[in-house]
Amino acid sequence: MKKIGFPLLALCLLVHLAEAQKECELNAPGNACYLQFVSYTADGNYSLDTKPVVFELLKPGESPMEAYTKDTIKDLPAFFNYKFIYVPNHGTTAAEKLDCISSLVSLVSFGYSRGKENLFFLVNDESINSQDVKAAHLTGVFKTIRLAIPAVKAVGAVAQADITSDFKETVAVPDEDEKEETSVKTAAADEKAPQKTYFGAPKTFDYTLSGIVRDAASGEALPFATVQIKGTTNGIATNTDGYFTLVKVPSDTATLVIQYVGYQKTEVYLNPQLPKRNLLIEVKPSSQMLNTVVVEGQREDIVLSNKEDISTIKMTPKKLEQLPNIGEKDIMRSFQLMPGIGASNESSSGLYVRGGTPDQNLILYDGFTIYYVDHLYGFFSAFNSNALKDIQLYKGAFESRFGGRLSSVTEIAGKEGNQKKFNMGGDFSLLSANAFVEIPIGKKFTSVVAFRRSYQGYVYDKIFNKFNSSQTTTSDQPSGGGRFKQQSKAVSFFYDLNAKLTYRPTDKDIISFSLFNGTDKLNNGTAAASSANAPSSFSTSSTDLTKYGNIGSSLKWSRKWSSKLYGNTILSYSNYYSDRDRSQERTVTNAAGTAVTTKTGLFENNNLKDYSFKSDYEWNIFKNSQLQFGGFATYFDIKYTYAQNDTNTILDRHNFAVLAGGYVQSKTKFFDDKLIFLPGIRISYFDVTGKPYYEPRASAIYKLTSKISLKAATGKYYQFANRVTREDILSGSRDFWVLSDGNKIPVSSAIHYVAGISYETNDYLFSAEGYYKKLSGLTEYSLRFNASPEGVDYNENFFNGTGYSRGIEFLAQKKFGKFNGWVSYTLAEAMNHFAIYSTDDYPASQDVTHEFKIVGLYKYKRWDFSATWIFATGRPYTAPSGAYTITLLDGTTQDYFTVTAKNSLRLPDYHRADISVNYKLLVGEKRRDIGYIGFSIFNVYNRTNVWYKQYSIVDGQIIETNVNYLGITPNLTLSLKLR
Amino acid sequence: MRVKIRITVALLSFALTACKKQDSSEFTDTPVIESYLQPGNVMNVKLSRQIPFSSGVNYSADDINALSVNVTCNNVTYPLTAYGNGQYADSNLIVAEGAKYNLSFTYNKKPVTAYTYIPAKPQGYTQSVTQIAITRMDSTSTPMAGGFTMPDPVTLSWTNTDGSYYIVVIENIEATLDPIRDFGNNAPPGNRFKKKPTNSTSIEIRANEFQYYGTHRLILYHVLPDYATLYDDNSTSSQNLTNPSTSISNGYGIFTGLNSDTLMLEVKEP
Repeated sequence: MKKIGFPLLALCLLVHLAEAQKECELNAPGNACYLQFVSYTADGNYSLDTKPVVFELLKPGESPMEAYTKDTIKDLPAFFNYKFIYVPNHGTTAAEKLDCISSLVSLVSFGYSRGKENLFFLVNDESINSQDVKAAHLTGVFKTIRLAIPAVKAVGAVAQADITSDFKETVAVPDEDEKEETSVKTAAADEKAPQKTYFGAPKTFDYTLSGIVRDAASGEALPFATVQIKGTTNGIATNTDGYFTLVKVPSDTATLVIQYVGYQKTEVYLNPQLPKRNLLIEVKPSSQMLNTVVVEGQREDIVLSNKEDISTIKMTPKKLEQLPNIGEKDIMRSFQLMPGIGASNESSSGLYVRGGTPDQNLILYDGFTIYYVDHLYGFFSAFNSNALKDIQLYKGAFESRFGGRLSSVTEIAGKEGNQKKFNMGGDFSLLSANAFVEIPIGKKFTSVVAFRRSYQGYVYDKIFNKFNSSQTTTSDQPSGGGRFKQQSKAVSFFYDLNAKLTYRPTDKDIISFSLFNGTDKLNNGTAAASSANAPSSFSTSSTDLTKYGNIGSSLKWSRKWSSKLYGNTILSYSNYYSDRDRSQERTVTNAAGTAVTTKTGLFENNNLKDYSFKSDYEWNIFKNSQLQFGGFATYFDIKYTYAQNDTNTILDRHNFAVLAGGYVQSKTKFFDDKLIFLPGIRISYFDVTGKPYYEPRASAIYKLTSKISLKAATGKYYQFANRVTREDILSGSRDFWVLSDGNKIPVSSAIHYVAGISYETNDYLFSAEGYYKKLSGLTEYSLRFNASPEGVDYNENFFNGTGYSRGIEFLAQKKFGKFNGWVSYTLAEAMNHFAIYSTDDYPASQDVTHEFKIVGLYKYKRWDFSATWIFATGRPYTAPSGAYTITLLDGTTQDYFTVTAKNSLRLPDYHRADISVNYKLLVGEKRRDIGYIGFSIFNVYNRTNVWYKQYSIVDGQIIETNVNYLGITPNLTLSLKLR
Repeated sequence: MRVKIRITVALLSFALTACKKQDSSEFTDTPVIESYLQPGNVMNVKLSRQIPFSSGVNYSADDINALSVNVTCNNVTYPLTAYGNGQYADSNLIVAEGAKYNLSFTYNKKPVTAYTYIPAKPQGYTQSVTQIAITRMDSTSTPMAGGFTMPDPVTLSWTNTDGSYYIVVIENIEATLDPIRDFGNNAPPGNRFKKKPTNSTSIEIRANEFQYYGTHRLILYHVLPDYATLYDDNSTSSQNLTNPSTSISNGYGIFTGLNSDTLMLEVKEP
C-alpha cells in the first residue's frame, strides 16, 4: 500500500492550484483504477491526520471540478474541518464503480490515526444500492454510507437522519488509561490529537488568554513550553511553573500550537466555551509505543535550540536515555554534544561554555545554586536525570534575571511528581543503581524522591583506577616494616538524593520544598596494625580520603496574583563541602593501656554556605510588553583551611559577604511581533567592596520571515565568588571557592557580544551564532609555598589576569522522523593574559580551536539506535623546557622542572565515537511502556585520547609519559518504571 | 558519509594547524644554584646547568666553572674561588649565625642574585629516650607469632616560638650497617632518613622507621621557609606545570642558611 501511496500524495502537491481545492490523481493513466479526483477542506488544513473525510461518488459523467463547484454540503458549518473527496464515476456496473473506492480510501487516509471512524461515503449514483456496497466490502471501510436511493439512504451504525447527523464526527475518545489495545495496528490510536468540536462563529476577539501546560500522564507542569497561535508568530513560552499568558489572541476560535522538547506537538482548538483564564492544556510525551505509523508533528528531538531564543538550549530528560552513555544518562554530558560546549574533557562534568570555565557557569537547581557538579573525578554529573523535569542552558549574553556568573547559566527544574497516580521506577547499570518514587498525596500534594548510588563495579573501578594508577605515591618513610601491614580495601562511592514536595493550596498558589544532596567519597587509603596481644601495640593507617558534595534546599512559593502578574519567591540554602585528608594516623597503646593518636599529612577543607532570598515577578503590563523584575540577597559564608598536621594550620580563610540587589527587564514585541526586544539592568551591591555593580544587558530577535530569525545580544556580567584550583598532582587537584576581596581577588567581570541567524522549518533547524567575550579581573591561585627566606605569605599566591574568548557555532538539526539528530561545528578561541605566566596572551587551558560533533538517532520498531562522534582539537598544555635536581639535607634528591611559554603546545586531537541501542519493554495488552534495556559502548573504536602528560627524570633525561582517557567501555542498563 | 566527514575535518584541522609553530619548548639557559650555609662552614656554592627537555638546545657560551661569583656580607664583597665541577668557595669567609649574605654573578647576560641569612641555633632540643630496643626479625619470624614488643616511639622536642620551620634527619653512623630486618629482594635502604619540615615543636620517630642497629645522630635543622618549599609537592603533569618557586632571581635552586643541633640515640636488640 505504501508503494503506491507516496506517488499519489506527491502528485497531489504538484497539481495544487491557487484555489482551496486540490486536483489529484490516483495511479497512472492506463491503470484500472486511474482516477482524477478533487480534494477540498474548508479550513485549508490538508495535513491533519485526524480529519473526518467525506468521499463523494459522483453521478455518472459528472466531473470532479463540476461537482465540487456545485456541492453545497461542503459549505455547511458542521463540515468546516472535514475533507471532501470528489471521486469520478467510472465503469458501468456497480462493482466496477465501487472497485477503486477502497484503494482510494486507503491512500487518502494513509497515516489516518482513527481507523474507520469519521470516514464517510456519499453515493450520488442512484444505481448503487446497499447490496452493492456490501458486496464491495465498503461497510467495513466507512462509518456511515449515504446512498442516493430514496428508500435506503444510510447504511451503517447510524440511523437514517439528515446528512449532518449521519456524517457527524465522533469526538468522544475513550480514556487512554482504560482503553485496551488489542493489536499492534491500533496502537496508533494513542497518538490522537485533540478534535475540533466547535464550528460556530467566534464570540470574543483580541483577548488575553492565560493557562498552564502540563504533562497529560503525570500532571507535571511543563516549564518553557512554547504556546503559539497557529499561523501567526504570536507566541510565548510558559514560565518555570508551566503558566503562560498569551496576549492578542485574535479570536476564541483560534488554534494554539503547543511545543515542548520530547513531547508531541499539540494543537488546541479554542472555542467560546473554554475558559479564558487558567486554561489547562495537557500534552503527551513522544510515542513510546510500538508504532508502525509515522505520526506527523511528533517531536523526536532530545535537545533543542529555539528560534525564539538567543544562545539557549533546552533539554528534557525524558528522551535522554537514547544517547550513548558510560554508565548513567547524564544531562551535562548531553549538553556537551551541542555547539559551543566543550566535549573533549572527560574528567569534567562542569560545562566549558564558549571558552568559559565550569565555575563561570551558574547552576540553578529549583532556584538554589549548585557549586560543584562532578561525581567520580568529573566523569559523571551530580544530577540524577530521573529526578529532573526540564533543563535550560543559556550559553551567553543571558537575561538580567540571572547574575553572579561570567559565562553561562544552567537552569534545572526538578520533577514535582505524578499528580495523578503513584509511580516508581529504577535503573540498574554497571555503574550505579537508581530508584525513584512519585506519590501524590491527596489532590493537593505531590512528592518525588530519587536516590542513586554507585557501587564499586567494573565501570567505577575502571575510572577510579584510571585516576589513581596515574599517580606515583611517594612516602617519607623508608620501605620496610612491611611485615606489620595489613592492607584493607578502601571503599569509594558516590550517591545523590533528590526529594521534592509540592503543595497546591489553591489554583493560584504553588508551594514547593526541594532537597538535593550529592556526595562523593573517594578513598585510596590503607590500614596496618601490629599484633594485638603485645603488651604495647600500635596501629597506623594511611588515609587518602576525599569527601565532597552538595546539600541544597529551597522553599518556593509561586503565586499567580492575576492573569497579568505572576511571582515566585524562593528561600534557599546551598552548601558545598570538600574534605581532603591525605595523612597517616597512628595510634599507640602503651603497656598501661593509654592510647595516643596523632595525625600527620595534608588536610584541606572547604565549606561554602549560601543563604539566599529571591523574589521574581512577571507582569504583562501591556499587550506587547512583559515586565520582569525582582530582588535578591545572598549571604555567603566561605571557609577554607589547609593544614599539614592536626595541630598546624597553614591557611585558614573564613569570609563572609552579602550580595544584594535587583533587576528589571522588559520583553517587548514590535512590528507585528516580528521584533522582540529585551533590555534590562541588574544592580548588585557587594558589601565587601562596598560598591554597587551595574550590569546593563539587551537582546533583540527579529523574525525576518516565519522561518528566518536574526538575533543579537550583549551584556555586562560580574562574578563575586570564584572557584580556584589548588594544584596537587599526587592526590588530584582540588577546587575551592573563595570570595572576592576587591583587592588580591578582584570582582571579575565580562562583556558579551552575540549575533546569530537561524533558519527553522518544521523538520530542520539551521543556525549560526558568533560570540565575543571579554573577561577581566580573573584570579588564579597556587598554593605552592612562596619562597622567601623571611617567611610565607599564602595570600600572595593569588594572581590576576584578563582574557577573551570568541568563536562561531554552526548547527544543523533534523528534528523529526525515525532518523533524526544533528551536526555541529564550532570554531573558537579562548585566550588568557596573566602577567605571572607570560607577557603575551596565551591559550587558556580549555581553548579548543575546532570542535565537530555528529549525533544520529534512529528508531526502528521497539529499538532506538544512536551514535555520536566527537572531534576536537587537542587542548593546550605546558611542557618542561628543562629540569634540575637538588640534593636535600638528608642526602636524597628531588627533581624540579622548568617550563617554557604557558600552554604553548597542543595535545593530540581528541576524537571518539559512542554507540547505543535501547530495546523498549512493553507489557500487557495495552503494550504499556515500562522501561528499556540499553547497551552502549563508549569510545567504540578505542581511540587513545591523551588526558595530560606526565614527566619524570631518569638518568639525567626527561621522560614524557601520556596519561590517557578511557578506552572502549561497554555498559548495560536496565531501566524499569511503573508508568 | 561519516568517514568522509571525518576525513574532511581531519584534513581541515590539519591544514589549519600545520602552519602553527609546533616546537615552542624554547630553552633558556638559566643556572641552578645549590648552597646550604651553616655556621662554622666556609662559604660554598655549587652551580650547574639545567637538563634540557629537547636535544639541540643552545647553551650560553659562559663556562659554568669560570664565572665571577661574589658574596656580599656586611657590605664587604668576597669573590669566590672556582674549584671546578661548578664548585665555588671562599675559605676565608666562615658562615656566622645571624649574618646576611647576598650572592651575585652574571650568567647568560643576566644578573643572577640570591639572598639569605643564618637562623638561630635550635633551642631546648631534647629526646624522650636515649636508647630503643627493637626485636631482630628475619625471614623465620612472623609478627603474628607474638612475643615481641613494639617500643614506644622516640619523641624529639624543641622550642619554637615564632613558627619557624624545622627538619629532623636521622643518620646511622656505624661503619658497618647491621639490618634490623630482612630486606628480602629489596635494595637495602640508606643510612639516613628524614622527616618532613614542620613548624611545630616536636616529632616522633616510630620504631619501624629504624632500619639498622647502632648509634644514630638525630640532627635538628632550623631551616628557612625557602628550604621548606623544596618539600612541597612538585607538579609533574602537563596540566599544571609551572616554574618552581625559588627566591633566586634569574636562576633556580636553593641558596639558604640553616643551623642545627644534634642528639644521639642507640638502637639495640632487647
